[in-house]
Amino acid sequence: MTAQAGRAGTSPAPRSLPRVLGPIRPRARWQELRLLLLVALTLAIGSVSLGTALTGEVGLHDPWGLGIYLAALLGAHGAQVLAGRRTDQILLPAVAMLGGLSLLLMERLPQDLVIQRFFGTSFGLAEVQLIWLVGAITVAATLGIIVRSDSWLRRYKYTWAAVGVGLLLLTFVLGTEINGQRLTLQIGPISGQPSELLKVILVVFLAGYLSENRALLVEQDTRVGPLRLPPLPYLAPMVAMWAIALGIVVVQRDLGAALLFFGVFLALLYAATGRISLVLIGLVLFLLGSAAMANLFEHIRTRIDIWIDPFSDPLGAGYQVIQALHAFARGGLLGMGLGGGLPEIGGRPPIPEIHTDFPLAALGEELGIVGVVAILGIYLVIVQRGLRIGVAAADDYRSLLAIGLALVIGIQAFIIAAGNLKVLPLTGVTLPFISYGGSSLLANAVVVGLLLALSDKGVEPPPLPRPGSRWRRLTRRAAA
Amino acid sequence: MLGPTGASPPLGPTTIHVALLLSVAFAVLAGAAGYWGVVRAPELARSPDDAAVIAASRTVPRGQILDRDGTVLASNEADENGELYRVYLSPTISQVIGYASRIYGRAGLERTFDAELTGLAGDPLTDAFAKFGAQRYDPKDLTLSLSHDLQQAAVSALGKRRGAVVMLDPRTGEVLALASTPTYNASRLANPATAAATFEALRDSPAQPLLPRATLGRYVPGSVFKIVTAIAGLGSGAITAETTYTEQPRAERTGLLVEGFRVRDGHHPETGSTALDLIGATEVSCNIWYSLTGLETGGAALVDYAGRMGFGAPLPFDLPTAISQVTNGSGTDPGGFVDDVELANASFGQAETFVTPLQMALVAATVANDGELMRPWLVTALSGAGGKRTIGPESMGRMLSATDARAINEAMVQAVEGPLGRRFTSGAKVSGVTTAGKSGTAELGGSGEPHSWFIGFAPADDPQVVIAVLVEQAGRGGEVAAPIAGRLMTRWLKGGE
Repeated sequence: MTAQAGRAGTSPAPRSLPRVLGPIRPRARWQELRLLLLVALTLAIGSVSLGTALTGEVGLHDPWGLGIYLAALLGAHGAQVLAGRRTDQILLPAVAMLGGLSLLLMERLPQDLVIQRFFGTSFGLAEVQLIWLVGAITVAATLGIIVRSDSWLRRYKYTWAAVGVGLLLLTFVLGTEINGQRLTLQIGPISGQPSELLKVILVVFLAGYLSENRALLVEQDTRVGPLRLPPLPYLAPMVAMWAIALGIVVVQRDLGAALLFFGVFLALLYAATGRISLVLIGLVLFLLGSAAMANLFEHIRTRIDIWIDPFSDPLGAGYQVIQALHAFARGGLLGMGLGGGLPEIGGRPPIPEIHTDFPLAALGEELGIVGVVAILGIYLVIVQRGLRIGVAAADDYRSLLAIGLALVIGIQAFIIAAGNLKVLPLTGVTLPFISYGGSSLLANAVVVGLLLALSDKGVEPPPLPRPGSRWRRLTRRAAA
Repeated sequence: MLGPTGASPPLGPTTIHVALLLSVAFAVLAGAAGYWGVVRAPELARSPDDAAVIAASRTVPRGQILDRDGTVLASNEADENGELYRVYLSPTISQVIGYASRIYGRAGLERTFDAELTGLAGDPLTDAFAKFGAQRYDPKDLTLSLSHDLQQAAVSALGKRRGAVVMLDPRTGEVLALASTPTYNASRLANPATAAATFEALRDSPAQPLLPRATLGRYVPGSVFKIVTAIAGLGSGAITAETTYTEQPRAERTGLLVEGFRVRDGHHPETGSTALDLIGATEVSCNIWYSLTGLETGGAALVDYAGRMGFGAPLPFDLPTAISQVTNGSGTDPGGFVDDVELANASFGQAETFVTPLQMALVAATVANDGELMRPWLVTALSGAGGKRTIGPESMGRMLSATDARAINEAMVQAVEGPLGRRFTSGAKVSGVTTAGKSGTAELGGSGEPHSWFIGFAPADDPQVVIAVLVEQAGRGGEVAAPIAGRLMTRWLKGGE
């Protein structure tokens, strides 16, 4: 990867460019350490609260699980200290808090919701989630340390786009259908949800496309009646995005992923161009497409009907959504306390699919509105860090990449939280860092890892614009 | 060398816009959390569908239910596993109290007050802290306005016939009896050992014993509906108590022609050529006078006045109620009538008019209480470890002036006690007490006996009890329903308190 900088040739030979395996100069990260200690303290209190509620005796609920998780956090922190990176110090603690809440929640739910066998040993819900959480923290920290150049993302945007479309097609052909949705792709022993990875690829592609064509999209107009539009050929990717979003709806029957992709696309398009007209056209296209899809697919129509009035079928289609609202109602302002809520009926939690689709409702019951608002606040902190990293980045590509990655987390959290709270129809996207599931945790870890890498003040400068690029052509024309 | 950021606008401002939009979106989420967690929380967290309510029901003893004299109507017993189930005093109260069954859920007051009986309800502020205490549940005992004695008398008066009796105190709206027959044995439904067989038998029975006829049965009212017409006519000012119609005596012989339909009467030998007023027309239950009054009043006012007394919507009551209607509203005439024929027929309770017995009791109560209708209610007090909360009477508003109400009162007295009224409505009189009432014989069309109705109250000059009696397909109202009403009002006024 670092070879790229050398090949660009035009930039002066870097004097002290840090290398992956270069000399290590440890650099303390006090802010991160302080925040991580706060997280550890909070989680310990949570664990005591959970243990006390479940057993009636004061004590940590699962000292080993919490210990392993905190050790992983300490390891990630230590690795960054040793690597001497000047990366963002707030992202990791924020994510660690959400992941810790996820661990406490999964420990608290019936463990047989998920049983996975690895090497002859079976693991329950919390154990599997802990494995993924540790993996996610490792991935985020590792990416934050070793990614020193963005050219592998920047140069091959169309390749990445092709990979993304390929994944989508693969899901269509080989995906397994669960509850009317085709979200899961299973190849051999490995199964995962491609849309989680797709969202990262989407941002990689969009950042590349928009950073190259920003100027054109901003400055040139085509008049279509009263509308002032950018040059029509440059709208092609927008139409392609629209088609892909609808394709996701068709292939995966998943309105949530489509909403996420298109939302990120429109937000990034606006950030790059500042043109409201483009966003409005995009919205109209999306609404038209969704309406058509709702007419075509029973599954989507049902979701929308449930959203409009779940109480019309409280024991059938509306059951899950209504039970989630009941959970918020039981929680009230202060919550029932960890382990104090979620009354079980016949040994089952009150909300079906609570660990993947309704963790916010579960936390809403146990931590109350106060807890929900705090969780929403942490997501906003993550988004704010990402946007800051984006605005401070060295060039448009990195800016848009960081902004896009931050928006992926923010918009995804919004979509599923809104589904839990009946603000939007319920969709199958996960609550980042909290929902159970490896694909989701790992993909979001990649997002955080890339944000950490992009925040590094000591990283390689971006490559110079290539001669013959659209940018060059444009500026030459402007000069003439 | 031109850098890309040199020519394109900076990303800062647009990024801030996006950040602001996302913040607003998250603020909406926080607002929604507040809406469900605070605003809607009391209603949701106490609903019988709530998981905590269901979970608690198996272990926490439910509150008892007592009648107005303190007789225990519903209590708990433990099965061999130590899990609790309900036992009820008698089948006569099953349609009111309903049942709480592990398998078949809840019905009746057991459903409405499930959260209170389970002990989950309270006010949201104390609830916010109650959950930190050791005693999470505070089951409440319910005290009802119902009299078990009177309820039993009502059920045995109906006997083997299908029907309903509603008795209430017009001054407060307290429901004294709310009987529906046939009854069923709710204890057998609540007992896990007998529940399944009992439920299947009840569900498959053609007599529909699970249907609380007093509140959920909808019946053609026949002539008892004339009181609604009178209320609307006087209330809207369309008629006075002295209003007579010159065409009425002539029409008695051949019927009144309304748009090609003849409204007929059966009383012309008795009244001859006299032009009847409110009192006279009510005494002989004159269909023609009431048709003309209905047409004079107009469909809009008729539906409006009925609506004020509860028609057109579920009643504000402790039990679910069926919606009573004056018309099905399919027409384009004012009020939703198809034409004047429907309006004329509705004015004496035929056409598309359907009512619940409870609704008709409210109509009588409006007259009895001088035009002010009190909200009917059953549960008068909730008492638990945290103290006792009493529920007081509540007005549904003034339906018509006291003067107009007394005019109708007088007409209803005449219908029971007048020389001709006595002939049509025998047996409704409470001896020694001025009694007011109106019988109804609801034709169902085709073959089959009509529904037998009576609504009334006593004493007429100081009403203390209102009654509505319905007996399904039992014949003339004056012959079947009226004597039942007389007996029960007598029992309440003389035998009760």
